[in-house]
Parts: sequence; structure tokens; C-alpha cells
Amino acid sequence: MLLAGLDGVLLASTIGALAAAALLPLLASLVPRVPGVLRLSVPRALAVLGSLCAAALGALALAGVASGTLEWWPGFPAQPFTITADALSAPFLLLLGLVSATAFAAFDLSDRSTGTAARLALQAGFTLALFGALVASHALLFLLAWEGMTLLSALLVAHDAGSARARGAAFTYLALSHAGAALVALALLTLSARAGGFQFSSLAVAFAHQTPAEVARLSWLFTIGFAVKLGVVPLHVWLPLAHPEAPAPTSAVLSGVMVKAGLYGLLRFAWALPGAPPPEWGTVLLLAGIATALTGALYATVESDAKKLLAWSTVKHAGLLTLATGLAALLVTAGRLELAGLALSAAFIHALGHGLAKSAAFLAVGEAVHASGVRSLEQMGGLARRMPGTSLAALLAVLALAGLPLFSCFAGEWLIYQTLILGYSAGAGELRLLAPFAGAGLALASALALAAMVKLYGIAFLGRPRSEAAAHAHDATPAVSNALFVAALLPLLMGVGAPWIAACFARPVAVLLPEFDAGTLSAASGFLLVPAGLAPSSVSPFAVAVLVALFAGLAFLWLRGHGGAREVRRAPSWACGAKLDARMQYSALGFTKPIRLVFKPVLTPESELEVLEEGSPYFARKLRHRSGVPERIEQLVYTPVVQAVLWTSARARQLQDGSLHLYLSYLLATLVALLLWAR
Amino acid sequence: MSEALLVVGQTVLLVLLAPLWAGLVAVFKARLQMRQGAPVWQRWRDLVKLASKETVLSEDASPLARVVPYAVLAASFTVCVFTPVLSTNDGLGFAGDLVMTVALFAAVRVLIALLALEAGTTFGGMAASRHLALSALGEPAMVMSVFTLAIGAGSTQLSRISAAVAAAPNEWLSPSHLLALTAMWLVVLAEIGRVPVDNPVTHLELTMVHEGMLLDTSGRHLALLEWAAHARTLVLLTLVANLFMPWGIATTDTPAALGLALAAWLAKLVLFAGIVAVTESVTARMRLFRVPEFLGMAFLLALLALSTDTMLRG
Repeated sequence: MLLAGLDGVLLASTIGALAAAALLPLLASLVPRVPGVLRLSVPRALAVLGSLCAAALGALALAGVASGTLEWWPGFPAQPFTITADALSAPFLLLLGLVSATAFAAFDLSDRSTGTAARLALQAGFTLALFGALVASHALLFLLAWEGMTLLSALLVAHDAGSARARGAAFTYLALSHAGAALVALALLTLSARAGGFQFSSLAVAFAHQTPAEVARLSWLFTIGFAVKLGVVPLHVWLPLAHPEAPAPTSAVLSGVMVKAGLYGLLRFAWALPGAPPPEWGTVLLLAGIATALTGALYATVESDAKKLLAWSTVKHAGLLTLATGLAALLVTAGRLELAGLALSAAFIHALGHGLAKSAAFLAVGEAVHASGVRSLEQMGGLARRMPGTSLAALLAVLALAGLPLFSCFAGEWLIYQTLILGYSAGAGELRLLAPFAGAGLALASALALAAMVKLYGIAFLGRPRSEAAAHAHDATPAVSNALFVAALLPLLMGVGAPWIAACFARPVAVLLPEFDAGTLSAASGFLLVPAGLAPSSVSPFAVAVLVALFAGLAFLWLRGHGGAREVRRAPSWACGAKLDARMQYSALGFTKPIRLVFKPVLTPESELEVLEEGSPYFARKLRHRSGVPERIEQLVYTPVVQAVLWTSARARQLQDGSLHLYLSYLLATLVALLLWAR
Repeated sequence: MSEALLVVGQTVLLVLLAPLWAGLVAVFKARLQMRQGAPVWQRWRDLVKLASKETVLSEDASPLARVVPYAVLAASFTVCVFTPVLSTNDGLGFAGDLVMTVALFAAVRVLIALLALEAGTTFGGMAASRHLALSALGEPAMVMSVFTLAIGAGSTQLSRISAAVAAAPNEWLSPSHLLALTAMWLVVLAEIGRVPVDNPVTHLELTMVHEGMLLDTSGRHLALLEWAAHARTLVLLTLVANLFMPWGIATTDTPAALGLALAAWLAKLVLFAGIVAVTESVTARMRLFRVPEFLGMAFLLALLALSTDTMLRG
């Protein structure tokens, strides 16, 4: 077996290459006059290589080639640190590898400042930590990697230290992530203490010896902790703040992969280790998923900041992942394992499909933001004629995110619809009641996401430039353009090849549902996407692609026979006789005003008109208009918490007034209290 | 072989008849207004004329503007392939189901809305903005109402839904079916841009939704987009006709059954044209911001249809 040894080699080389990519720029910065190649190009090449190794490792583990294990025992904890790329990690490893390889390849090295080297090093470290979290099978190692992932990405979020917005975002991110990580650490360490070891295998045994109430308590701790990373409402508030602040390659990995690490955590610790999800888990996740998908889609539609819009769209897709997971758990409770398997495979496919599309979108839009120097859609426009390469990549990514057929997000959504219908028909418990609402929510969220994506591409790339900066934007360097193009082609390839890819997720599903015959998933029939032989429904993206090409060709031939060979004439746009001005175009704010009005009771937009200088009674000379959509969830849930913390710390401060006598009396009081207690 | 012939025949029939339906509505309306009106095949003449005219493109348009008309036509015709017109025989239906149909319609919507933003003028943006807002409400209502049928059929394949409804002759009288049909009809009116949601004969750009997005297109690009719009209209009407009231649809591929199916299908289309013509003659177009209420009602009806189904079937 030649392949048997390969996975161990791949594990080692991923870690080695990424670690070297993280350390080389740092070491090189210590030595004066190191050639730029060693500081930037070599680390980047190493990082791309390491990422590709991770992708290959994921593909091997999906194909079922025995997963290699690496061990390292420094003699300190009770058991050696082990890493394994098993079937459950595999889809996430594949995603991480593909996304981070394109993200590193799209790293612009033409700017040779120390900032670039630092960002490259941090990103390599971040990727390594993320990889570590996905392959760790040792509780302490997992916690270390998880924490490293949070800290390194927070540094990247705050890389523009001059911006108060970036610092605020990084702070919110750290606060919420650490709250989540604390819950995870609490559960993991409790479990390790009871298991007497840190290996995941011993944790699973320890789980089996707990009372059901204790199992449920631990599972819920894991669930809430990882839901923060996944961005489930109401724990999502950090996501639309932090993701847009990071540099584009980091945003791509944050939205494309790190959010899915939350899903990995949920599945690994709240499902795979205890053997089954706790009761009520499915219902809660399904409802939270609907709420998350709708919130994300709605706020994405009304957002006018290009990168923040993409971050809100990530919230929408995280909602779909949560929904699919909840659906699977509900179906397990109802005893419909084959349907649960279908729902889980939908979650895996959607995680991969969205990860590829969102990372390509962040890379391309990030490049447009970099070239035009503005993030607000109100100041972009007309970029498609000025940066054609980037625009093509952005177009493909945006079409994929809108969930159109032939692109990667369609397959996951299709499978979720199928599972909802089948689960509903099967009369599986609460699903009978919840499925119609889930279906309606899914359809509404998809339709809103469509509007958001048209807004993003149409306002930023089409029409006329809305600012001087956008008018003078230039396309990226050929190397970056090529990387963008490859990144944007992946969702299309995955979309057309979805049936073949869907058949690969039988193994990770089998990890979660051991009694389920996973063969039914992998035995999908060729180029048809089918719900695993459970219903006579099918679609074939490949056949649709062929038909579309056929009809476009026929239309072309028809017009050719009709004098259609004549050249298209270019003329200025007609503006009803007035001089055409870029400000005549619809603004980003105005473009989704109808949606904002329809959803006014939910969004509660605010606007305020202030007269600065009175002229005559009817014509003010100077006005100030302010409008926005405040984030109500943040105001309702987090403002009271923050105020409570501040209030408590202000009270606690009174204890500390700097007087030595007072401190000594505290000591005395404590001593007396302890003696009394221990008596 | 006969199956392949049937697939090609149905698609060609749908695509070629599509412009005639709009012509038929125009004829009915003209008669209701005591006018002679243009002949039924006027839309075909328009298409042929447009196809040979010069195409003018805005100086601000990107290369995308030259691809969109072809892509829109191709996506619209692809939906025609999956639509059961005469027979419930699956044909190529395995390649695209209800969700694929809705998604292809969504793709068309995205592409046309992007095209509307190409020229950098006010009217394009205005129409695209309105269209997206309206269909954000219409699309879920459509999905929900057809899902009510899909659940009964146990499949999302359009031909299987049609066959299942046809096989249960009294099913269409059930409350959930009637509610779903009502919801679907309201959405279809909005999607094909008819009164009370949009007025296809308006000349005022400020009130346009569907037409507004095509203001900056001309020549062969306009011909493609118009033809595609006709095809989509006929697909939606055929879905109402053959999914919700599949009376007369052929379940076996004998010439007699197919002939009967053709007659039934044409009769239903003429009926729809009559209903639309009368509606347009007696009612006015709604204010734009009343339309969300209209579509919201369709959405609620569809949701009600599904819940009624839950209650009645237990």
C-alpha cells in the first residue's frame, strides 16, 4: 500500500511547511539586509505548498485511505499529543487546504514593507493553528490550537492599528470568542478529569459513563461555545464586525473556513464524542438556524459596506449549516437515520460549497477595495471596465453565493430542501410542525441573498464610477489576478461536479451515524444529484450546463442568419436629454430601500433630518441627514450585559482605594473567615 | 426515440408559441375596448424585426452586457425542457426539478438586474431595485405553494407532481390545494409583470418594473431578452395549468392522448389569457408599495396551504 504511508507524510509536511512559512519572515526580519525573496516569496510558496498538502490529506481521508496518526510526547501531560486526520476532519481539511492555498497565492507581495511580511507570517501561523484544531485528537492540544487560532486572527483583524473601528472589532471578537472558548475549555477539562486522560478516544469512553443529565449539560456547554465561532444568532455580533476588518486573504479564511471550524466543533464534541446529540438539540438548532439565515440575509441586503455585506452573507450561510445540522439531529431522534445522513451530507456539501465561494468573493472584493481605496459601495462603481480580471472573479463568486444552479451553493440548498420535504412527509416528530417554516425561511433567505449579491456586484462593479478613487482603480498584478481566477473557478467546478462530490461525504456521515448504512450516500448515480435513493427526485447540474450551452449556441446561430453579424455600436447612455452624471445612478442605500421599507417592522431603520441653517421657511440652506439600520440584537442582548459588567467593576473598584491599612484589614478579615470556615 | 421526439417537440412548441400568448391577451383586450387591435402574431413580427436591427450598447457597459442576453435566453429555454407540457412522461425531467426551475428563474433575475445597472442610468437601477424587492417576496410564496403539491407527490420532479395530481381526481378540491393554487396565481401575475402588479403597456418609465430593466437594450439583445421573457411567461402558466389542474394531460404517449393533451393545454392557456385580459380591463395597477402586501398575502396563503395539509393529513 503506497498510499498508507502518505498521509503521515502529508500531516508532517503540512505542519512543517506552514510553521516554516510563519517563522521565516520573523527570523529574516532579525537579520539585516536579507533578500526580499527569503522574507516574502519563499514563505509564501511554502505556505501554498503546506495548504495543498492539507487539501490532499483531506481528500485522502475522504477517500477512506487509513488516517495516519502522529504522536509527540514531551513527557509532560499524562498522554502524548496526538494528531489524526480522520473522516470527520476530512471535509474541513479539504476546504482549509483549497481556501488557504488560493488565499496565500493571492497575497500581494508587490508591497515590500515589513507590514506585508508580518501579515504573511501571522496568516501562516493562523492557518497552522486552524489546521491543528481540525486534526488534534488530544484535548489540551485542541485547546491550544483553538486559542492560537483566535489570538492570531484577532491580531490580523486589528492589523490596521490606526483604525478605531478595527480595534473595536478585534475587542468584540476577542471578548465573545473567549467567552465561547471558556465554555469549551470548561467542558473539555471536566471531561478530561473524569476520563483521566486527554485523548478523544478516552473522552468518548468518559462520556459513556456520565448520567444523561450530565451528558446533556456538557454537550450544551460545547454547543454554545462553538456556536460563537459558527456565528449563530444571537452570538453572531462579532462576525460582521471582525471579518471585514482583516486583510482580504485573512477575511477569506475567516469566513470561508474558520466559521466552519465552529461546525466541526459542534459535530465532534456535541455529537461524535457523546455518540448522539442531546435531546432538544435539534429543535433549538433548527430554530436558531432559521433565525440566523434570515438575520444574515436581511442585514446583508441593507448593508452598504462591500466587505461587511459579505460578512453578513456568511451569517446567512452559517444559518443554513445550523439548520441542516439541527434537521439531522431531529431526524435521528425520530429514528430516521437515512434522512439524518442526507441532512448531514447536505451540511458538509454546503460547508465546502460556501467556503469556496465566500473566500473567492472576499479575495476579489478585497482586491477591488484595495484598488479603489474605499469600502463603501456608495463610492465604488464602474470597476468592471477598469479591473476586468478582478471583476470576472467577483462575478463568478457572487453568482455562486446567490445560490444559482451550476455553482457550488446550489447543491447544499437543494439537499436541504429535499430533506425537509422527505422529513415532513415521513411525519418525523416535531419536524411535521417545523419543516414548513424552515422551508419558508430558507426560500425567503435565498431570495433576499439574491438581492444582496446583485447589489454588491451591480453597485460596485457596474455603471459609472461614483468617486475619483474608483475612476482611477487599476487591475491587480497578473499573479494575483490568476490566483483570483482560480479561486473563483473552484465554486463553478464544484457546482457542475456536485453529484460526484456529494458521493464523497459518506465517510464523515458514517462517523456521526455508526448504525447508518453510509453506502446509500456514496452509491449516488453518476451525474445526477439524488437524495440517496430516498425519493424519485434528481437534478443534474452537468446536463443543465450542456442545455444552457446548447441554447446559447442556437440563439447565436439564429441571430447570425438574421444580420446579427453586425458590430455592436457604442453610444453614451441616454439620460432624458440631461448630462449624465454618476450621481444619477441608484445609490447602494436607495437600491434596497424597497426591501428596507417592506421589512421596516423588523429592521426598524432610523433616520434623522436636522436643519443646520434656516433660509426661508420652506427652503433650508443646509441640512444634515443621518440614516442607518441599527443592530437591534446587539442593543437588546449585549448592551445590558456590557453595562452590568461596567457597573460591577465600578463598584468593585471602591474596594481598592490605595490605602495599605485597608488592604491589611482585608487580609485579616479573609484569614478570620477562612479559619471560621475550616473549623 | 419517441421519447426524445416528445422532449424536443414539447420544448419547440413551448418556445414557438410563447410570443403568441402575449399577442392573444392583447387581442382580447382590444376587443374588450371595442378596437380591432394588432394580430395575434404581432409579437413574433416584433422579434424578427428587432433581431435584424442594429444593437447599441452604452459606453459604460462592461463585457457582461454582451453575454447576459444569450445567458438569459439559454436559462429560460432550459426551464422549458423540464416543463411538462403534453405528457407526464419524464423525458429530460430527471435533470431539473422544481428547485432547479426556481433557481434558473432566479439566475435570470440576477442577470437581468445586473444588465439594468450596466448603463449607469436612473431608470435601470430603479427597476432592478423594485424587481428584486418584489421577487424577494414572490419567490418564497411560489416555492411554498408548489411544495404543497410536491409533498403529496413525494418528489420535486415537475412531471411526477403533475402525474400525482392527475391520478387523484378529487385532490384538487382539498383546501390546501385551492389555497396553494390561489397563492401561485398571485405570484405568477407578479412574475409575468401583469396588472395589478405591473402594467406591460405603460409608457411612463417611473412606473415600470419589468420593462424598465430593458430600457437600455436594443436590437438583437432586446429580441433575445423579449423572447426569453415570453418563454418564461408561458412556462409559469403551463406550471399552473399542468401542476395545479392537470386535466387532460397525457399519461401514456399515444397520439390520441397527446392530441387531447394539446387541446386541453391550449384551452387552459386561452382561458388564462381571457382572465388576464379581463383583469387588466377592469382593475388598475396597484401602488408600488401596496404590492408587498399583495405578495405577502400570497406567501401567507402558501404557508397556510402547507399547514392545512399538516392538519388534514395528520
